Amino acid sequence: MMIKTLLSFVFSGIIAISFSAHSKTKVTWSMESNADRDPIFLEKLQNAYNSAQNNYELEIQFEPNETRIESLRTSMLAGMGPDIVETPGPSYVKEYQEAGMLENLDSYAAEFGWKDKLIPWAYSSGVFDGSLYAIPKTHESMVMLYNKTLFEENGWKVPTTLEELEDVAGKIQAKGMDVYTYGSSGWQPTHEHLVGIYLNNYAGPQAVYEAIIGEREWTDPVFVEALELLKKHMVDEGWWSGSLENYYAIGWDDFHAQFATRGAAMMTIGTWTFQATSLGIGASGDEWGWAPLPSLSSQSDGPNFMIAIGTTMSINAAAKNKDGAIDVLNWIMSNKDVVIDIASDFEFGEFVVPLLLDESDIPSSISPQVTSYLNEYARITGDGNYGYCTWTFWPAEPGVHIWKDMEVVWAGDISVEDFMHDHQKMWDKARKKNETLPVPLRD
Amino acid sequence: MNFFSNKSFIAWYFVLPVVFIHLFVIGIPSILSLALCLTDWSGLGKINYVGFENFIELFDDRYFKKAIFHNILWTIIFLTVPVCIALMCAYLLTGIKRGQMFYRLAFFFPYMLASVINCQIWKYLFHPIHGLGGFFESIGIQALASSPFTTKETSLYAAAFVDGWHFWGFLVVIYLTGMYQVDNHLYEAADIEGATKFQKFRYITLPMIRPIFIFSLMIIIIWSVPVFDYVYILTGGGPAYSSEVVANYLYTHAFVRFNVGYASAVGTLMFVYVIIIVSIFGILRKLGWEI
Repeated sequence: MMIKTLLSFVFSGIIAISFSAHSKTKVTWSMESNADRDPIFLEKLQNAYNSAQNNYELEIQFEPNETRIESLRTSMLAGMGPDIVETPGPSYVKEYQEAGMLENLDSYAAEFGWKDKLIPWAYSSGVFDGSLYAIPKTHESMVMLYNKTLFEENGWKVPTTLEELEDVAGKIQAKGMDVYTYGSSGWQPTHEHLVGIYLNNYAGPQAVYEAIIGEREWTDPVFVEALELLKKHMVDEGWWSGSLENYYAIGWDDFHAQFATRGAAMMTIGTWTFQATSLGIGASGDEWGWAPLPSLSSQSDGPNFMIAIGTTMSINAAAKNKDGAIDVLNWIMSNKDVVIDIASDFEFGEFVVPLLLDESDIPSSISPQVTSYLNEYARITGDGNYGYCTWTFWPAEPGVHIWKDMEVVWAGDISVEDFMHDHQKMWDKARKKNETLPVPLRD
Repeated sequence: MNFFSNKSFIAWYFVLPVVFIHLFVIGIPSILSLALCLTDWSGLGKINYVGFENFIELFDDRYFKKAIFHNILWTIIFLTVPVCIALMCAYLLTGIKRGQMFYRLAFFFPYMLASVINCQIWKYLFHPIHGLGGFFESIGIQALASSPFTTKETSLYAAAFVDGWHFWGFLVVIYLTGMYQVDNHLYEAADIEGATKFQKFRYITLPMIRPIFIFSLMIIIIWSVPVFDYVYILTGGGPAYSSEVVANYLYTHAFVRFNVGYASAVGTLMFVYVIIIVSIFGILRKLGWEI
């Protein structure tokens, strides 16, 4: 009798435990796949969240972006899709928001005080038609990396102006190296990184801002001159990977290898590269450094950092578990330590949720270059010296035009003036169709 | 007897499942696509009717015209280079008694490989750092310093070369099949008459394999319209639209630029073109041409 009673208690316990385990409702998140990053997201995001509470079971589904963007669109159209919708940037959010496929997050933002937790410009990047629809999963900027050891050996000065840049470029080429290593093989939109740099650092962020909000035309001579200068450096001088043809032929692994093996002295790239750069050049024995991109004219006075959103997080309007999805987002924004821990694993190149951080929040485990970048970025952008990355502030069609058709300019098939004329027409069309994206007000 | 249990309907029952699948996978999406060409649909959200605006814009689109021109060039290249090489090789192979299977396999092998593998092989071969260019540079020779896939003047021809390289083995096999069906007595008679190898090819082989030959031309013309994979993987249509083809242009508008309505208009024109080609062949057949 005793044994029977004992067994019934044991079974009841097992049933109760398994019921509570299975009673957790599932929250799905379709995330961009990356072999190095996936295990960290599984351990430090999915498993950590699941252990931290008993109501929801987060399930991250990884898929490469090449196919994920399309499969996400198809499933959303069918009224399905994951609970948490991850997109590659605000132009995608706009498409989904316009289609009524995303949940309005205003009430949650007010309830959980999200606005006070996020960097103001990053918060406003998710506000469409006056309401919040997306939270940045990562924010980023463009920087200039250089081989510090090589620069010291040759007594080269890190350039801060166009004159200094052209001077050091000549010296680098005289040594038989490429000025910059970079390439678009495997990711054609790489061109927009360079276009953005020249627009912001030649014409200046103020002029770019005015064009974005429609107070200045893209055909303005200052933008034409900016892209003429880019064409000169790219096509005539062959600054990137030696020639335009090689720039087209070189991909991510190639240009990191070139940088690590002194094939080139510098690299123009986004901050998402920090981890790869540390690993790559670290193995070669050389030391790397970073610097803000040089000012390319007097219109762009002083260093600035272009602001950008890498990926965004939203809630599917047709989510099966909306409450769970909100809970996941709120958990991320309420746990600064989790974000910092994951971001540190990527050297602050990924999962840099734009939470308001102090200098003391930056862990000592990350490389000194990244620490100094984070401090400088906060200081300079905090002073209002920030520019605008094309993939965050350009509507869909002009956003594609700026990189896809730039090749036509570089090929000499059309003039920069004609290109900018076409570009302006696309902006006019996007403005007419209310397709422009949120842009933070400038002081 | 019931009309539907008539013997002549039995074949219909067997093909019905395939018809249903085709209707579901191709028919319905095609009809929807035809309807979308009159809208400005982005792929999500509201669908607005815009009439023939997409077509008007298309006829004024310089890159679309460029893509059409490249498709025509592509068709001409494929109607000549692989066809000539395949005809010649197939004819020569008929004269090989030992080891013929080795050649047939060797020629056909690239056709069995996935396009992405073929493309990666050639991309690596012409890579400026790791490919032949890098190798030549290491031994002091300046050759192939730039990849033909990333050079504006050569990108289309380079992509066509790789696609042709994979395709011509297929033509060899079908021509060879046709040549084996030619009655050997015709060649024996020609030998008695003292005909040369070329004369036998010109006056016996070519006329006798005409149905297969014309069929091969027809599939080349049709397949050249939706050519996509080799261009997409090798060049992405670039640089600067120098290798842009219509299918890749459609893909870019539908999946990169969020212009599904415009992409559907491109697809509709492709559809019309294929219908015209098939109709021409159908009419010629009705006129008694042996094709």
